[in-house]
Amino acid sequence: MLAAASKKQYLFIALLVIAAIVIGFWEPHALIYGIQRGSLYAVIALPLALILGILGVLNLAHGEFLTVGMYATFVLFSRFGVDPMLSTVPVTLLLAVVGVAVYLLTIKHVLKAGHLSQLLITFGISLVISELIKSIYTTQPRGVFTTYSYSSTTLAGIRFGTYEFLYLLIAVAVLVGLQLFLKKTRLGQATFAVGQNPRGASIVGINVSFVYLFVFGLSIAIVGLASVFMVPRVSIFPGAGTPYTMKSFALTAMAGLGNLNGILLAGIALGIFEAVVNAIPGGSGWSDVVFFGVLILVIMTRAIREGRR
Amino acid sequence: MKKISLASVLLLIAALMLSSVSLAAEPIKFGAVNPLGDITGFQTTRAMELAVKEINEAGGLLGRPVELIVVDDEMRPEIGAAAIDRLATVDNVDFFVGGMGSGVHLAQVPALKKYEKITVWMGAASHQVEIAMGPDADWYFHLHPWDYQQGASYGQGWTDIANAHPEIGASRIFLAYEEGAFGTDSYLAYLDLYEAAKDGEGPYGQILNDFAGASFTSALLGGGDYRAMLRQAMDFDPDLFIWAGYDADAVPMVAQAMELGFEPPLFVGAPPGWPANFGDNPLSDGVILYGMWAPALKEVSEISNHFWNEYIKMHGHEPATYFAPLGYTNIMFLAEAIKAAGTLEKDAVIEALRTIEYESPIGAVLKIEPSNIISNQGFTSQKILQYIDGEQHVIWPFEYATSEIKYPFGR
Repeated sequence: MLAAASKKQYLFIALLVIAAIVIGFWEPHALIYGIQRGSLYAVIALPLALILGILGVLNLAHGEFLTVGMYATFVLFSRFGVDPMLSTVPVTLLLAVVGVAVYLLTIKHVLKAGHLSQLLITFGISLVISELIKSIYTTQPRGVFTTYSYSSTTLAGIRFGTYEFLYLLIAVAVLVGLQLFLKKTRLGQATFAVGQNPRGASIVGINVSFVYLFVFGLSIAIVGLASVFMVPRVSIFPGAGTPYTMKSFALTAMAGLGNLNGILLAGIALGIFEAVVNAIPGGSGWSDVVFFGVLILVIMTRAIREGRR
Repeated sequence: MKKISLASVLLLIAALMLSSVSLAAEPIKFGAVNPLGDITGFQTTRAMELAVKEINEAGGLLGRPVELIVVDDEMRPEIGAAAIDRLATVDNVDFFVGGMGSGVHLAQVPALKKYEKITVWMGAASHQVEIAMGPDADWYFHLHPWDYQQGASYGQGWTDIANAHPEIGASRIFLAYEEGAFGTDSYLAYLDLYEAAKDGEGPYGQILNDFAGASFTSALLGGGDYRAMLRQAMDFDPDLFIWAGYDADAVPMVAQAMELGFEPPLFVGAPPGWPANFGDNPLSDGVILYGMWAPALKEVSEISNHFWNEYIKMHGHEPATYFAPLGYTNIMFLAEAIKAAGTLEKDAVIEALRTIEYESPIGAVLKIEPSNIISNQGFTSQKILQYIDGEQHVIWPFEYATSEIKYPFGR
């Protein structure tokens, strides 16, 4: 299920670089914002792709786990004065525990029940999380403000914020980490095998149940990691993470199931598309149309090509 | 001796029975529909409870206690409409009160028209509601200023401020608006005001020379990146930058402006509500906002001070949005009218609502006047407020001002 980089991918990278250079000359801010935002989309989409690729479950509660991570970071900041950067380890671990608990209590029991049951149960989880947060914190947004998260620099006469480049670093780090895990560790290879053929993996003695549990916990931990770095830049409210579920699914679908490298590239490409549309006066309302329009185009093109084979 | 004692006991019992008539009497029922999961609806309900408690402690109305029955509309139009039916048919309420969102209230209009009970509605600013209600509903009283009244009051406010402070100008206005109905309606309203101002007419006729706008996707709807829009605003170089979005946009909007080095002389936010503890954020200093009330009003208004202290005493937290004093006003205004009417008879109460004046903790006297369509409109203007040293202050209207304007923003 997890495909390696292919010729097509290199071609896509080349096209992306050419487009980036053109956009960089035309509207350098759009290029910067696009890379920053696209990287964020990618780091959030990677764990969704992992769960979808290995467990075969489309997790509709993905964005809500992101929200949980944001509130956990907020609580550490507001109650104990912990800077978000220092919350990285505790929040990531907390989300791993939450992921494991949710898997054991719910997901585990619907793995063989078909996609509709899986969709419904993850949808139910998303509602429960959202309503729980509402009942504790109401819908009023909270915030964690740090001056460093809005620091900026000027380069060649272009002033831009520097913090969101962290998203690119994290996206690359998570991607490289996942690739190393999948290729260089026994558990990673077992995960890869389960993703390819769970029944076969089981026959050769791999503990498929444990792999599923581990992958789900790891994925939700990555979501927690992403949430920590987002918190200084966003408002925290019960629906804060929700829109990222669809964007993550869109990136996964665009990259192709199991193509982790493709998710980063697709994220940056769509981030740049979005930023270019936003840079055009009156274009803001079209950014989602472009985002999902490009997605539809890519999926249709792929489907037509596969149909011809 | 024994007979005297028996007579005394009987007299005592009779006296006790008479004195408890008001407690045992059938309550006057106020039926409220509020979004309880939202801070606005939650605090409105708490403020209404405070008002009802004070009324009942003072002996009730017409010798009867007041009962508040609250139904959660969950911010969903269909639930809000069903709540009216339930309150009218199951709970048999005497009056309808409460309400926040225009979308929910639009769905409630047909049900309200069906029952034609006296309704004193505190929220719903969209003029679409006024159109839906029409001119014939003499039983319908609306307290919140309509959207067009708010726009006009801001224009009046900036004109007054510019006249009082010649160094402050608002001749170039840039409106950043969220791309949904709320923001787009604001933009269209400003376009109309700008067209009128070109001919020297309307509330901005004396001050506005140039206007531009750009949309953004609100954080509430999955956006939250305002940098492209802010760069367009920077290029326009406005005297007054205003954004019409939601509370979730507030902090990132100001912070991203700081990141870009965008510091317009007047930085105004116009969301329906603000995030919790926005004043604690160092970036809030100097941010201007529109609203009906600020906590600082307690320093200049006795009734505001009373409301503030009693609300905290009863509920243990501070009122955070103007919907709390508006909810209190909602109940107290209706109660004062019932007292003035001396009866629950519909025509008498309507007449009383139209004639009484109520000094509200909002920081204004509430009296009913016709608006564009309906005949019973309450408040007609908002206030211009500013975050100064972490606290919201009223800077206009001047008679309720709690501070001088801090100008320019961010320097």
